[in-house]
Amino acid sequence: MPHEVRMPQLGMVQDSGVIVAWLKRNGDSVKAGDPIFEVETDKATMEVEAATDGYLSGVKAVEGDDVPVGGLIAMIVEAEGDVEEAGTGVPDAEPEDVAVVEAAQWSDPEPVKQPISAPVERATPKSVASGRVLASPKARRLASERGIDLHLLRAQGVSEPIHVADLDAAFAAGGKSLLSAVVESTSFDEILDCSRTADRTKLLALFAAGAWRATFDASSVSVAIKDLDGRIEIVANPDRGGAGVPEDPVLTLVDLCGTRINGYVPMGGGVTLCVTRSAAGYGLSLAFEESRLALSGAAALVEDIAARIENPLLQLL
Amino acid sequence: MTRGITLSQAVNEAIAEEMRRDETVILIGEDVAEAGTPFKVLSGLVEEFGTDRVIDTPIAEPGFMGIAVGAAMTGLRPIVDLMFGDFLYLVMDQLCNQAAKTHYMSGGKLSVPLVLRTNLGATRRSAAQHSQSLHALVAHIPGLKVAMPSSAYEAKGLLKAAIRDDNPVVIFEDKLMYQDKAPVPEEEYLLPLGEAAILREGSEVTLIGTSSMRQVCERAAEILDGDGIGAEVIDPRTLVPLDEGTILGSVRKTSRAIVVDEGHQNFGITAEIAARISEKAFYHLDAPVIRMGAMDVPVPFSPALEDLTVPTPEGVAANARALVRGVPVHAP
Repeated sequence: MPHEVRMPQLGMVQDSGVIVAWLKRNGDSVKAGDPIFEVETDKATMEVEAATDGYLSGVKAVEGDDVPVGGLIAMIVEAEGDVEEAGTGVPDAEPEDVAVVEAAQWSDPEPVKQPISAPVERATPKSVASGRVLASPKARRLASERGIDLHLLRAQGVSEPIHVADLDAAFAAGGKSLLSAVVESTSFDEILDCSRTADRTKLLALFAAGAWRATFDASSVSVAIKDLDGRIEIVANPDRGGAGVPEDPVLTLVDLCGTRINGYVPMGGGVTLCVTRSAAGYGLSLAFEESRLALSGAAALVEDIAARIENPLLQLL
Repeated sequence: MTRGITLSQAVNEAIAEEMRRDETVILIGEDVAEAGTPFKVLSGLVEEFGTDRVIDTPIAEPGFMGIAVGAAMTGLRPIVDLMFGDFLYLVMDQLCNQAAKTHYMSGGKLSVPLVLRTNLGATRRSAAQHSQSLHALVAHIPGLKVAMPSSAYEAKGLLKAAIRDDNPVVIFEDKLMYQDKAPVPEEEYLLPLGEAAILREGSEVTLIGTSSMRQVCERAAEILDGDGIGAEVIDPRTLVPLDEGTILGSVRKTSRAIVVDEGHQNFGITAEIAARISEKAFYHLDAPVIRMGAMDVPVPFSPALEDLTVPTPEGVAANARALVRGVPVHAP
């Protein structure tokens, strides 16, 4: 999801801040923690850091602009392709009036969309109130962790307040999501051909664990390896030589490369990675529930696994 | 080896054992010697320990409370018997201004190792001045520990620990539970102040019940069991110190909590525990924390009305069901 960059409140009585210098340009790749611009308040000049990784997009303020606290300055988008051109002039002038949101949040359930770039009138309690979906703290936290938009659930008719069970039910009704990719990999084939000891399934588990660790910054990654007889072996940290104690597996790997079967979507919960082999290359398919794993995270995972199969040397890095 | 004894016998045993063990332990209050208190808790103690150590006083609560605080400062370990919790109002200065603050104000030179035993609980048809549950009053005062035994087992273990504690400890026994039996070990044991007990495990809602509300929660859990709802029941055992870790750990697991206590709901123990859960386990909550205290009215003398003022298993179960099913207990 795109992340909004807004003018932070750096002092207790600060109403606005002047952008002194941009340290990144529109379209630049940023990492969480990278300083992206300098802002001057009546007390000091400070660097504002990116809150997330991505690409700086749709920059709305130029150096010298005085931006009200809370005013939208730019977005950080996940993909380079989503980068929007920089705008000119003063950004989104009115910050959201937080106090008003709190006071009036129960009053109006109608969603109201406000285009970011249009001149914004002083936000009335009514229009601001409608933006907030009623949800339990845990549901809100899990939705955020899983990349679920609560507005979307409301639009689908889930009644408020939204609870954890609603998150699960909303996605369980739609069943599993499936992401697939095909990778050509002569180098992986060569490794398998020239080494008698190389075990394809174990190597795939190693790639999957490495990709999971890199994508989700996990410290311990257990992978379940399931065969068509239904046998399941759980390997702790296969990308680290199996060190540690096997825990609840983050995903189940089904290696179908030696068979004619070209797909398997298991019943039940969890994340399943199915690997097949055809003339076109290695087929990857990841079955998951979007209530448990955000689409963006799943896509990044599949990309990373594909990259490792394509170039196994990546695993060493 | 355990045997079933009443809460009354458990308290009696605790006092007798501690008086045998430590000759500085004395007992003081109204009708503690010959009469053995209106609840017959102390029968037999004066025969064993004599009137030097089991001291009957005139009907003058501030007087004997003051005597006990002074005795505690100067080397004894008094157990004060306050016949009804409602009489706490009479001893507030001695308890809250003197006992609670002496250790601090003397720079640690003086201690007040004193136990104030009193009671709480309505539905005994004793009317508004003999039915209150006033533990929140003393739990509010820094320097006092507060224990709330919910069974004979807890009453004995907590009282013995309180007698050995060097701080003033107020113990509230439920006056309706004196004849309730529970398994109590024959051998000596102490229950540390500040450790809650998980009495029943469940995954969908945490019921926190103090004193006799523990039994209310346990019966509610049985009702909920019939609905397929797993309730975890926690007895904090002591309010000060409060075992936050056990409570928060349970709520993080179940995502829902109901706090049940027989003190008045407004500004009470339920509010304190609910607030700590909301502050410290907020992002694990899937529903508002519900307080269930006694109705905010003087306890009525009419039995029909009196019974309506305290939380019931059915009431707790109904709220738990609503929480688990996502039905707001209070309109959003």
